[in-house]
Amino acid sequence: MNELKHYLAPTSLDQAVECLKDGDVTILAGGTDLTPQSQAGRVKIKHTLMNIRHIPQLSGITLEGKEIRIGTLATITEIMAHPLVRQHLPVLVDACNHFASDQIRNAATLGGNICNASPAGDTLIPLLVLDASVELASMPEAKLYRHSMPLSTFFVGPGKTRRSLCELVTCVRIPLPAEGHVARFHKLGTRPALDISTISIGIAGTLKEGILSNVRVAFGAVAPTPVRASQTEKALEGQRLDEATIEKAAAVARDEVKPIDDVRASAWYRKEMIHNITKRILSHVAQA
Amino acid sequence: MSVAEKKARVIQPDSLIGKRIPKMDAPEKASGKTRYIHDINLSGQLHGKILRSERIHALIKSIDTSAAKALPGVHVVITAADVPDQRPIGVARDHFPLKVGRVRSERDEIAAVAAETEEIAEAALKLIKVVYEDLPVISNPEDAIKPGAALIHPEPHGADGSHEHLKQGTTIAHKGKPDNVAMTFDYAHGDVVRGEAESDVVLEDTFKLHYVTHCCMGVSGMIAEFDASGNLLMYSNTQVPFLHKREFAEYLNMDPARIRIIQPPIGGGFGSKLDIYPFEVICLYLARAAKRPVKMLFTREEEFLASPTRQPVLLTLRSGCKKDGTLTFRQVHTLHDNGAYTSWGATTPFVMMQTFSSLYRVPHCDYHTAAVYTNNPYAGSFRGYGNLQATFAIEQHMDMLAEKIGMDPLAFRLKNAQDAGETTGQGMSFKSCGFKDCLTTAATRSDYSRKVQENVANRDKPGNIKRGVGMASMLHVGGGAKIYPSDGCGTILKMDDFANVTLITGASEIGQGSETVLSQLVCEELGLPMSAITVVNNDTAITPWDVGVHASRTTFIAGNSAIGAAKKAKTKILAVAAKKYDCAESDLDLRGGFVIKAGSGEVVVELSKLLRNLHFQDKAELVMTTFYYEPPSVHQDKGFKGDVSAAYAWGTQVVEVEVDTDTGTVRMTKVTGAHDVGRVLNRLGIEGQIEGGVVMGQGYALTEDLMIENGVMKNPNFRDYKLVTAPEIPEMDISFIESMDGEGPQGAKGVGEAPSICIAAATANAIANATGVRMFELPFTPERVYRTLHGQTPKLYWKPWKAE
Ligand SMILES: Cc1cc2nc3c(=O)[nH]c(=O)nc-3n(C[C@H](O)[C@H](O)[C@H](O)COP(=O)(O)OP(=O)(O)OC[C@H]3O[C@@H](n4cnc5c(N)ncnc54)[C@H](O)[C@@H]3O)c2cc1C
Repeated sequence: MNELKHYLAPTSLDQAVECLKDGDVTILAGGTDLTPQSQAGRVKIKHTLMNIRHIPQLSGITLEGKEIRIGTLATITEIMAHPLVRQHLPVLVDACNHFASDQIRNAATLGGNICNASPAGDTLIPLLVLDASVELASMPEAKLYRHSMPLSTFFVGPGKTRRSLCELVTCVRIPLPAEGHVARFHKLGTRPALDISTISIGIAGTLKEGILSNVRVAFGAVAPTPVRASQTEKALEGQRLDEATIEKAAAVARDEVKPIDDVRASAWYRKEMIHNITKRILSHVAQA
Repeated sequence: MSVAEKKARVIQPDSLIGKRIPKMDAPEKASGKTRYIHDINLSGQLHGKILRSERIHALIKSIDTSAAKALPGVHVVITAADVPDQRPIGVARDHFPLKVGRVRSERDEIAAVAAETEEIAEAALKLIKVVYEDLPVISNPEDAIKPGAALIHPEPHGADGSHEHLKQGTTIAHKGKPDNVAMTFDYAHGDVVRGEAESDVVLEDTFKLHYVTHCCMGVSGMIAEFDASGNLLMYSNTQVPFLHKREFAEYLNMDPARIRIIQPPIGGGFGSKLDIYPFEVICLYLARAAKRPVKMLFTREEEFLASPTRQPVLLTLRSGCKKDGTLTFRQVHTLHDNGAYTSWGATTPFVMMQTFSSLYRVPHCDYHTAAVYTNNPYAGSFRGYGNLQATFAIEQHMDMLAEKIGMDPLAFRLKNAQDAGETTGQGMSFKSCGFKDCLTTAATRSDYSRKVQENVANRDKPGNIKRGVGMASMLHVGGGAKIYPSDGCGTILKMDDFANVTLITGASEIGQGSETVLSQLVCEELGLPMSAITVVNNDTAITPWDVGVHASRTTFIAGNSAIGAAKKAKTKILAVAAKKYDCAESDLDLRGGFVIKAGSGEVVVELSKLLRNLHFQDKAELVMTTFYYEPPSVHQDKGFKGDVSAAYAWGTQVVEVEVDTDTGTVRMTKVTGAHDVGRVLNRLGIEGQIEGGVVMGQGYALTEDLMIENGVMKNPNFRDYKLVTAPEIPEMDISFIESMDGEGPQGAKGVGEAPSICIAAATANAIANATGVRMFELPFTPERVYRTLHGQTPKLYWKPWKAE
């Protein structure tokens, strides 16, 4: 049973991280993961429930130098509609377009998707191939302290991250993609909406004269966390996107992943889909 | 207005039949004002919760409820030991509401609590300690019939010896069963050996149908209260209140006359509320013990775990035809997974055998079912009642036979389709029959024959998207089904001084729109607008008897009953008017709220005025009539033969799909349906009924799958149990064939179950048309389709088996 005793709704970041100090706090953003998980008894709400939705510093989508900053509270709906994201990060919009339903998108936050750390989290795959980093805030002494880490090192296991109990995720930063940048996302499920990925794939890189470089490949729902696929990236790095390269990369991808059987699909099917969809995405990129 | 002008007023003829009439309960539902059982609370009410088994198959060694009883706010905690007068429930009386000595499935009820709040009741459940001793689990019906298989209901019943007070009865719950066979059905007409000898082509295939469940948006619930005199009042979601009055009385060992059932509006039935489930009886036990009203509501997870399912079936069909396309025979063996207890699912053969014997002309038919006990969930009745399963096999074989003899699949079907006037081998007599019109209409409107050819030609062209088109037809009862001593329905009709009508009908409204269509039929007879009617249909203390909402019967049976009562009222009114205005009754009619001259439409008198005159006079009279309609159908004989329904409904659906061969994803793009509904009464209502049914069929075909592994339900939630969502719903083109049934109300026949029946079968045919690959097992999830396309699905085969 939940041990909930206090409910807090701080209005500043300082207040929030101050409260986090004792560690016995459950953070509430949109609640679209927390509510079903706590009702099903999979997550215990701790002594204090802290609603972070009244903290202005955690919202907004802005251009800061050569990076786009997306506040942790940005909802999926806001991200999809934002001109900066639409212009520079269409792959993220694409992923949001396959995310849940309108009702959930209006409440679900980007930070919640990241901190929930599901291997099937839909924004995580595009964020990984976009080289996103997460910023965390805490108050070890009397002063606010912030530090960043690449998203690719953030995830530890299903629902587990490198965030310590006294830290709050404040935002995500994504470097502005360079010229010639291409990025694609594909989510496979049994239905077009309101579905958890059977697998998902993100591929990004710079395409110049048919050669792909700075390749980033990430897969969802094939491992305990969303993963970068280093071998598949290697098979593509500096290569011309011809049929042989594509077939080889798809085969490497299939061999690289080690998925499990669950209610959504068997490991065999997931591997087949990693192969087929990787091939499909790369062919589309090559033809574009 | 002067008297002269008023006299000259003419009311033009008009009809409500075939119009698009919004459902009468729509404004309340759309504005959130409908009070479902969830919204009803009685003063002094307690909340009931059930402790279910932690094991699948086990002996209960001990139950300790002392800590739960001690929890503040808990009023009663009961186990089987606290209810010594428990009677077995269910279709085969093989089931105690609170389990005695043994649990047989995941949903099994062990104890129940009534407490001040739901939270306290939940907390109390956690304090109950149960010690089990595990038994081997049987989760595959094929294992259940193996020699030496563990028995689910062994004799003698139980192992604890603490129930000597239970007299050895005749029920399975008391005396057990020497094998795992719960029920068998054997039917035949003609001589299949001869039929096979006359065949040029014979096919035999095994088909496998899976578990799905109703997924009513309103979860199950009940409120029970005993008054100071011991009378029982229930707020219940039942679809069959009058039958359940009697059955509850049996379970409680009380007089049925002292039971009253009120049915609040329900959030979905689809057949799921046709049986009495343990939770309902347990709720009554709690109310009796607590001497307080007790409300019990399922959680969504419970709704999955403890609701009935559609009947899973393993089926081997052998069928044949001649080179000229004449069907020769069908031989069918099915193995029904009965689950741990018997509900209506076990009796789906009643409907399945009709489809095998009579969907198309079948000269020789031989049908056998064994429903066998396992430790799985048990199946109940579900829209279509076995017909989806039977049609899935038959209509695939129709395509496959046509292909074998090189005949166009539509021509093959038309050759074997029946006409009005025919009687089938099982004795079903088709007084109206639009079967061929359904076939040709659906085929023409979808351009079926051209697309079949085109898709085959495109199959081997490059590209991962393959298009397919498939057809299937159905036959279902459309004029009730005489299963109980009466298949009738009563009506009481009352008119007030303002010419408003109160229609008191036995027929329950479960969202299907019956109150609207019944009102329409009454208003049509009495020449009144829809605004002039109020329907009372949810209280056994008020409404006259009806057998219940099932078998697509309400519009037909309750409709005829309502018309009967309205006609009697009309006769009385016209007699009074004729006398008063000194003319023949036949010269008068009712229209637009007036008595008019039948020929000219000229107003004679306002109906409300006439009624007031009748009422407020020396020989005061009111217009109140009653009618009971019993359809002219007959009970089947011992061999299951007989004309069990007053009318039969037909339908053909053509499904179009796109199969992505890279992923196995099947997208349903279009459904073209043609339904012989007798006559369209409420066009808006019938379209809704068909569209909803198509989507239900789509879920059965493509996405819905209640996964059971070793008796454990893997996906009791909407995250992993995948209902069809809005973007997947295909384009629909629906035509109505109006065969004007002579017995039907205004010519109409039942259509409630029809639209779900063909979809899975037609989808299988469409996938085969697209890819050349046949799917024998549902559902067609991406992985299953992908596997089959890649030759990774071993051919199913179940050797026909018949219980001795
Ligand atoms: C019906 C339904 C459909 C869904 N469909 C999808 C889908 O298609 N794709 C998908 O990826 N997900 C889906 N989800 C999951 C969920 O909506 C997302 O993961 C969402 O992004 C979570 O955000 P939230 O704001 O609701 O998080 P919350 O539930 O509020 O929080 C999630 C977790 O993150 C923690 N947390 C939140 N913010 C912070 C922060 N700033 N710092 C530290 N910890 C924090 C919380 O403590 C909690 O543990 C679905 C959920 C539902 C109910």
